[in-house]
Amino acid sequence: MAYILIVDDDGDFADSVSRVLRAAGHETAVELSPEAGLASISARAPDLAILDVMFPEGESAGFDLARRVRSTQPRVRILMLTAVNQKYPLGFSREDMDEHWLPVTDFLEKPVRLKALEAKVASLLQTAAA
Amino acid sequence: MARFELPSRPRPDGLAGDSPGSTGDHHLPGALLARYAVWFYRLRWLVIFLLLGLEILGEHPDLLAPHGLFLDWHWPLAVAICLILLNAAILGVLYRGGLETIARFPRLTLWVQIVADLGALTVAIHFLGSLHSFAAFAYLCHIVLACIFFPRRHSLAVTGLAILLYLACIAAELSGVLTPGGLLRPPVLPAPGQLSPLALAVHVGMALSTWLAVWFLTSRLSAEVRLRDSLLEAANQRLVAATAERTRHMLRTTHELKAPLAAIHANTQLLQNGYVGDFGREAREVVEKIAVRCQALSHGVQQMLQLANLTSRGQAAPPRAALNLAQVVAWAVQGVEAEAAERGIGIATELEPFHLVAVEDHMKMLFGNLVSNAVTYSRRGGRVHISSRPGSGSSCEIIIRDEGIGIEAAKLPRIFDDYYRTAEAAQHNPASTGLGLSIVRHIAQSEGFGVVVESAPGRGATFTVRIPAAPRGGSAGS
Repeated sequence: MAYILIVDDDGDFADSVSRVLRAAGHETAVELSPEAGLASISARAPDLAILDVMFPEGESAGFDLARRVRSTQPRVRILMLTAVNQKYPLGFSREDMDEHWLPVTDFLEKPVRLKALEAKVASLLQTAAA
Repeated sequence: MARFELPSRPRPDGLAGDSPGSTGDHHLPGALLARYAVWFYRLRWLVIFLLLGLEILGEHPDLLAPHGLFLDWHWPLAVAICLILLNAAILGVLYRGGLETIARFPRLTLWVQIVADLGALTVAIHFLGSLHSFAAFAYLCHIVLACIFFPRRHSLAVTGLAILLYLACIAAELSGVLTPGGLLRPPVLPAPGQLSPLALAVHVGMALSTWLAVWFLTSRLSAEVRLRDSLLEAANQRLVAATAERTRHMLRTTHELKAPLAAIHANTQLLQNGYVGDFGREAREVVEKIAVRCQALSHGVQQMLQLANLTSRGQAAPPRAALNLAQVVAWAVQGVEAEAAERGIGIATELEPFHLVAVEDHMKMLFGNLVSNAVTYSRRGGRVHISSRPGSGSSCEIIIRDEGIGIEAAKLPRIFDDYYRTAEAAQHNPASTGLGLSIVRHIAQSEGFGVVVESAPGRGATFTVRIPAAPRGGSAGS
C-alpha cells in the first residue's frame, strides 16, 4: 500500500511500530538516527515519515529533521511521536504546527496505542491520496 | 588518538563587571553610560539657556547695578557658544548613528563632556569671582556626577582636574595674567590682594577639602551601590542559567523515563493484539498485568513531572493566553473517547463558551484530570455528563458528573492530597497514582478557582469548578 519510514533512536519501539504497519499491509523501513533517516529519504522518498522528537545528540533533532525533510521533500507527510507533550516550559502542541517552525502533519504522544497509531496513519495516507 | 579535556569552571563567587578588581572599580554597563551621556548633553541645553538669559540681562546694566550686580564683558555668551558647539558635535553623532554610536564609546563621550564643561565652568567662575564668591562650589556638580558615572579612580581624576583648573585660575589672577572678575560689587569675600598668603591658603584649602570630602563620601556610596548592582546582576544571570538548565534537565528526564515505557507498552500491545501469534490464557493474563503496570508507570511519571513543574518556585511564570474553556473541556473529552468507547461509557456535553485568560497547559491539566477521573471511575456502560452554567456575576461553573464508584463522606477532604487514593479507587483502578486531584488542587488554587465535590459511595461524584468573574489574568463572560 504505502511506503513508511520510521526514524527513532529506540530500536525496540521502532520495530514494534514497523511490525504493526507491516501487518496493515504497508512497506516499512526503520532508521535509528536523523542522519540515516535523511539519507534514506534522499534515496527513496516515503509516503509517510514517522519521526521521534528527541535523539541522543539533540533535544530537538526531530524538529530539525522535519524541517530538512520538508525543504527537500515537501510532499512527504510527517507524523511526529514524542514522549514530551507539555507546551510549557518546552514542548509543542498542535497549535505550533506551521510550515516553517514545525512543519509536521500531525503528532502523537508516547506511549502510543498502536491501534490509534494505525488509524492515524490510515487517515494521513488517505488525506495525502485525496 | 583524539583528546578532549574537560574545561574547568570559574569559581561561583566571582564578581560580574567589566573590570572586577578592588571594591569600587566596577564600571557601569556601556548602554547605561550612553544614556547618561545623552542626559548630560540634554542638561547642557538648560545651562546654555541660562547663560543666554544672563547675557541678555548683561545688556541691561541699569537693571543689575542697583542690586550690586555686574556682568563683565560678554562672558556668558562666549561660554554659551562653546557649549553650543560641544552639543552640536554630540547632536551630529546622535543624528548619524543614534544611541548605538555613543554606546560604542560611552566613557569617552562622558569624559569629553566633563572636561569641556569643567573648562567652561572655570571661565564662568573666573568672571563670577573665583575667590570672592561661592561660585567655585559649582565644581561639586561635576564631582558628584563623576562619582555616579565612573569608578573611584576615574572620579578622583575628575576631582583632581577640577582642583587643577581652579588653582590655575587663581594663580592667573594673582599673577596678574588675568584681571579678577566678580559678579557682586562689593564682593562677598575680600579680594585676593587683601588676604595674607596664609589666609588665602586657608580659604582655598577649605574649598578644596570640601570638594575632596564630597568626592570621598559620594564615590564610596556609589561604589557600594555599584557593587550591589553587579552582585545582583551576577545572581540574576546564575538564576536564569539555572532555570534554563533545570528546564532542559526536566525535558531530558521526561524523555528518558517515558521513552523506554513507550517501547514496553508497544511490545505488550503486539502480544495482546496477536501480532506475534497466539498464546495461552495464563500467558495472556501476565501480559495484561505488564501492560497495566506499564501504563500506570507512564501515567505516574507524567503526573509527577507535571506536579514538579507546578510546584517549582523560581522559574518564570508560564505564558497566559485567551482561552475558550468549552474548547479546553472538549479537548479533554477527546483524550478519553477511546477509553470510554472501549468500556461503553457515554459522555454527554452541554457547554457554553466561556472566555478567560489563563495558562493553556494548566487548564488542560485541570480539566483533563477531572474528565479522565470521571471516565476511569465510572462502571462499564455508565454515563458522564459535563455541563456549564453561569455563576454569580459573570462567573462560570463547569460541572463534571459521573455515575461511578463514588467516595465516602469521611474521605472527601483528603482526595486532593498528594498520592492519596481511597481503597475503592485503588481496587477499581490499580493504575491510579493519587496525583490527579493534587494537580487539580494546585492549579485551581493558583488560578483562584473554587472546586466543590459531592459524592456518595456507589452513586458517582460531581465536581464543580467555579471560575470567578475576574480570575488572575482576567476573563470575559460569554
